[in-house]
Amino acid sequence: MNTSPSAKSNLSVSQRLATLAGAAFLGFGSLLAVGWYQNSRSEAALEKAIVAERGMRTIEDMRFAGMELVLTAMDTIIDRDERKIQPEREAQIKASLELLDANMSALRELASLIGKTGLLANFEADLAQVRKAVATDLKVLVEAGAPAGDFARIDDAIDAGGERMNAVLTELTEAAANLASERTEEARAEASHALLMQAVAGLLAMGAMLALIWFHGNVLRRGILGLRDSMQRILSGDLSTPVPARGRGDEIGEMARSVDLFRVEAIEKRSLEERATAGREEIEQERTRQEAERDQAVARITAAVNVLGQALNQLAEGNMAVAIREPFEGGLDALRRDFNNTVERLSHVLSSVKENTASIESNGRQMRSAADDLARRTERQAASLEQTSAALEEITVTVKTATERAEEASRMVDETRINAEESGRIVGEAIAAMARIEGASNEIGKIINVIDEIAFQTNLLALNAGVEAARAGEAGKGFAVVAQEVRELAQRAAGAAKDIKALVTRSGTEVGTGVKLVQETGDALGRIGVNVARINEHMSSIVMAAREQSTGLHEINSAVAQLDQMTQQNAAMVEETNAASHTLAQDAEKLGELVGQFRHGQAREATIRAAAPVPVPPLVKAAVAKAGAARSGATMAGATMAGAARAGASAGTASAAGGKPVTLRKPAAAAATARPTPSPAKALMGKLAGAFGNNPGSSPSVAASGEKWEEF
Amino acid sequence: MNNAIKQSGAYLEIVSFHLGDQEFCIDIMAIREIRGWAPVTPMPHTPPYVLGLINLRGAVIPVIDMACRLGMKMTEPSERSAIIVTDINGKLVGLLVEQVSDMMTIRGEDLQPAPEIIPEAQRAFCRGIVALEKSMVCFLNLDTVIADELAQAA
Repeated sequence: MNTSPSAKSNLSVSQRLATLAGAAFLGFGSLLAVGWYQNSRSEAALEKAIVAERGMRTIEDMRFAGMELVLTAMDTIIDRDERKIQPEREAQIKASLELLDANMSALRELASLIGKTGLLANFEADLAQVRKAVATDLKVLVEAGAPAGDFARIDDAIDAGGERMNAVLTELTEAAANLASERTEEARAEASHALLMQAVAGLLAMGAMLALIWFHGNVLRRGILGLRDSMQRILSGDLSTPVPARGRGDEIGEMARSVDLFRVEAIEKRSLEERATAGREEIEQERTRQEAERDQAVARITAAVNVLGQALNQLAEGNMAVAIREPFEGGLDALRRDFNNTVERLSHVLSSVKENTASIESNGRQMRSAADDLARRTERQAASLEQTSAALEEITVTVKTATERAEEASRMVDETRINAEESGRIVGEAIAAMARIEGASNEIGKIINVIDEIAFQTNLLALNAGVEAARAGEAGKGFAVVAQEVRELAQRAAGAAKDIKALVTRSGTEVGTGVKLVQETGDALGRIGVNVARINEHMSSIVMAAREQSTGLHEINSAVAQLDQMTQQNAAMVEETNAASHTLAQDAEKLGELVGQFRHGQAREATIRAAAPVPVPPLVKAAVAKAGAARSGATMAGATMAGAARAGASAGTASAAGGKPVTLRKPAAAAATARPTPSPAKALMGKLAGAFGNNPGSSPSVAASGEKWEEF
Repeated sequence: MNNAIKQSGAYLEIVSFHLGDQEFCIDIMAIREIRGWAPVTPMPHTPPYVLGLINLRGAVIPVIDMACRLGMKMTEPSERSAIIVTDINGKLVGLLVEQVSDMMTIRGEDLQPAPEIIPEAQRAFCRGIVALEKSMVCFLNLDTVIADELAQAA
């Protein structure tokens, strides 16, 4: 039994089944092990018995072989007179010996098994002796025909050996037989022992399994029956009794805990339902009370609204003296006081509006005349700009021409430089040619020297001839004449040579002078080249300066064009300003009229609505359209005069429509009024807009003129 | 020249030469040959006008600078200088002159005696003056100019 008592209720169902299976496995396993062990032991005993028996048979064979050998030897000795061993006997001897040799190893094995190896030592010696006597000595004796004494000796030896061998083998046979019977006995005893052991193990295993089944079955049955009873109680409505077996560790314990949870939830649900019923009744009572209060409040508000409506109607008809005297109920009385305060403040505001309107009217007139003045000046400015632009155009053309001339000059200077360089090269060649001429002159001089030498020699020869002729006396007279002629020729030749020499010398001098002059020319040409290069630098800097001038002029041109465009836009804007100031003056007059109606307190709602919006929007629209046209005209290049004329014309008509021009205070003051934010007119507009915020009739005019102001 | 063919008794044949700016002449019969300048081998212990020796076809002859001998500046020998080889009393002597200018025939009466204002010793050099159209030529007396010296040297 491998289950401890403390873990009795904590084992799960599968674990219990596993203990059962484990017990069965253990029982069968022990049965099998015992059977196998005993079987192997009896088999080993039998094996030994079989070996002993086989050894016994072998020894028997050997004994017969030994006996046969001895007998054959005896026969041979008996038939020794034949002087020859018969072949069949020889074969017999040989076969017996071979059998003995072959079984020697088996014999040794058997001797060791039995434990009598000591016997074998003598056996082998005997066998060797017998073999020698039979196979060798006997043969020799027989063939030699030995005396009978020798045969008797050998016969004794063979007999003694054979008997000893036989005795050993017999002893071994008996020992083997004993061993075989002993082993067989042993095996039989083992078999009976094994049967007993197996019976005991089987009984033990069956007993253990029965005990386990009884124990586990009881535990499971008790748990499930308790759970069934508890569930039946919950079903029948008994929620107070707790579920048993919640503390168990197995599946039955888990089921018990789940059932207990069901029971607790059923208890909570019952209490919640009771609380919900109480809450619904309270809400119903509260709703009834609130409905009664609401009806009372509605009645009070209706009465107050009626009184307030009558007062507002009177206010709308212009009656600024209206006031609600009777107090309202509760919190609504604040509404009455607010209404009374509002009416009072409105009447104050209207009186200040009346005062400001007069001031706006006079300021509007001044602005109108200032705008007219501005328009005229802008026109003059545009004309001046046009002239400037034309002048700039002419200057640009002139500068461009100058640039082209300068570039051409630069090219020409370049060519000149190239020519100067070429001239330098030619001068070099001329110098070389001069040098060659000088060389040729020197050659000529040498030749002349040779000629001169020849002439001198000729002269000497002629002199000698003359001397010889003179010494010859009368006979040499003719020869003397010839010698004289030769001498004269030689002297002429010498003179001519001298002349030529002088000429060549002079030519050499002249050539030298020429070389010097040509060199000077080359130097001068070099200086010209340097100067030309410098001129070239100057020309290129002039060209660069002219280009920069051209670029600058281009920029000035574009700047003037931009200036022109801005002037056009200014003109257009002045025109718009003009129109807006006219509108402002008219609006101020109308404002005066409106405020006048309130003073009398008799103005009708219809008249206010009709008077306010009608004359203002067309004027504003016309001014805006004109300004747009002027602006688009100004953007086109070269249309400045036309644009200015148009602007001037429109400005003229505007001033004519606006009435008498008033002299301006200062241009700066006029510029200041261009930003209208702090002006009284703006404040007045704000006040009026606040006062008539809900009046749909008068708002468009005020809003429109306000927007136009904001544009400037 | 113009009147070359005359009787030899009445006519003198002369060879004129230049020494510096002056012109001198000698009798043609005293001349053996005229040759160009060739370098001479100087001799020690000789008067300044004896320039040295030359080899004339195996014969060694002395060369005298005539300008120096006649008391003028030493001649600077050049390619155009000439050596007149003369035979004076059987001895060959070379005379260095600047230039052999002419060979002419004069009449005996054209040779005029040297003026007497010249001292006697110096007058012995000159056998006479030959007056030509353009210049005056001194006819040298080679016997006195050279022979004495040679005698002394010997």
